[in-house]
Amino acid sequence: MVAGGLALAFIVFWLAGHPGFREERIVMFLAITIMASTLIYFIRLANRGEKFHLRSIPGLKAVEEAVGRSTEMGKPVLYVPGIMDMDQVETVAGVIILGHVAKMTARYETSLNVPVSRSIVMKAGREIARESYTMEGRPDLFQDDMVHYLTDDQFAYAAGVNGIMVREKPAACLYMGKFYAESLILAETGNSIGAIQIAGTASQAQIPFFVTACDYTLIGEEFFAASAYLSQKPELLGGLKGQDMLKAFVTAAILLSLFLRVFSDLGWIGWNVIDFLTVQ
Amino acid sequence: MLWKRQIPILIATVVGLLTLFGWFIDNPGIESFVNDDATQWFDILASFAIFLGALNLMKLQGRKVLKQHSGWQYSLFAIGGFIFAIVAGFIYKGNDAVAWGVHVTSKGTLFKWMFDFIFTPLSATMFALLAFFVASASYRAFRVRNLEATLLLVSGMIIMVGRVPLGSSISSWFIMYLLVLVGSVAANIKFQDKIITFGVLLGGVVIVTIWGSLAGWPVDQPSIFYLPMLQDWIYNNPNVAGARAIMIGIGLGIFATSIRYILGVEKSYIGE
Repeated sequence: MVAGGLALAFIVFWLAGHPGFREERIVMFLAITIMASTLIYFIRLANRGEKFHLRSIPGLKAVEEAVGRSTEMGKPVLYVPGIMDMDQVETVAGVIILGHVAKMTARYETSLNVPVSRSIVMKAGREIARESYTMEGRPDLFQDDMVHYLTDDQFAYAAGVNGIMVREKPAACLYMGKFYAESLILAETGNSIGAIQIAGTASQAQIPFFVTACDYTLIGEEFFAASAYLSQKPELLGGLKGQDMLKAFVTAAILLSLFLRVFSDLGWIGWNVIDFLTVQ
Repeated sequence: MLWKRQIPILIATVVGLLTLFGWFIDNPGIESFVNDDATQWFDILASFAIFLGALNLMKLQGRKVLKQHSGWQYSLFAIGGFIFAIVAGFIYKGNDAVAWGVHVTSKGTLFKWMFDFIFTPLSATMFALLAFFVASASYRAFRVRNLEATLLLVSGMIIMVGRVPLGSSISSWFIMYLLVLVGSVAANIKFQDKIITFGVLLGGVVIVTIWGSLAGWPVDQPSIFYLPMLQDWIYNNPNVAGARAIMIGIGLGIFATSIRYILGVEKSYIGE
């Protein structure tokens, strides 16, 4: 009913001359609205108790295995939340996954080492890790210095993390966040010390490096699905289902656009879909 | 609870909606907030937060030295470097002719000397390590273990050779002869018969030779076997198709995650 009301209000606003609205961006506006509505619909379905099937993601299953391995070996877990600040959605996703990993390390009583390259990430990481240890009933195991600052500089940070790896020899290295050229330096060093390595990033250029050097890699959307997958909260799982539906929708839109473009090139229709879809 | 839960969620929702829908509203105030003010606020916050990071760094390194933990000697360098940078940045310029502020980029100052002769070479050293790591990672990735790894190896070789000057000197006919050889090896593995293998090899060589003779052996024809053209095709077609598929997934992931934050569905970032 709310969606219907909003749609009606927008139609009235549009017919009234839509003052202040950038008309040339209407396609993008509609796309965002439809996509957001789809997500909200599936989140509501999940809240009502609907069960969704989730495909298995080996990299996420391996997180618990990696923490367990560290426990057995009596070595720490090293967690790297990328080198960017909290204004990047990947860093936020990385810090959220840190919360889930911290729960596991609290449960298994394994030490956790989180070197960060931004002060705000340090504060956010500490808060989320503290909350996780408290939720697991082990606030006594949490120390502020688990999440510690190294430096803002990219290669100085890589050197610092490499030093920690070589000195402490963690049994598991997790890289979750936004990475640049330092990704391979970190992952190859982790490989050389024999740690089980799991990476997750949306930095497209770094994915091949992680795939090569790590045992498991969460590629793009899998990385953003991690929080829902690890928490198993219905509302988050609903969001994942909605995301899958959006993917089907985008695939259909690509195929439809392809045919329309071909028809336009052949002169069968006098309308170019590319002009319609291009963001103004 | 209100300050640690509801208020942060409210701020995330309001600013998120403003940023998302501000893009569709023709209002200079909102546009200026989204494009300039909001990012400047973040930069100011981050600048103040650096004190927290620096204090934490000094605390940990200092404790390491005082308690003489393993590798405490390295901490001396960290503390010494930190103090040196503070002195060069705020206390001693090393050149009185240069004003404070511009001294960080002016020649002849202590800070610039530190930047040019300590910081830059150390960063370059770390970056240079990447070349060796690329080599070791490529060695593992390019080992022929299965079909996918073989495809990676072959396409990687084509890209590497096709992008260097040597690649443009290799005739497409040479590549065709190589393919005939590979085909005959494959026939031998499949049929384990010398006659069939020899037949494939001989037939292939004869066909390529006759074809080449008739065409006049042009280096870049047929273009499908010419390495610069082939690498260009691999780079711009299968590679771009795969990369775009990943990009679409990433885009949807970012969108869905952002919507979850804006709607307050995802509250893990405040520790819930």
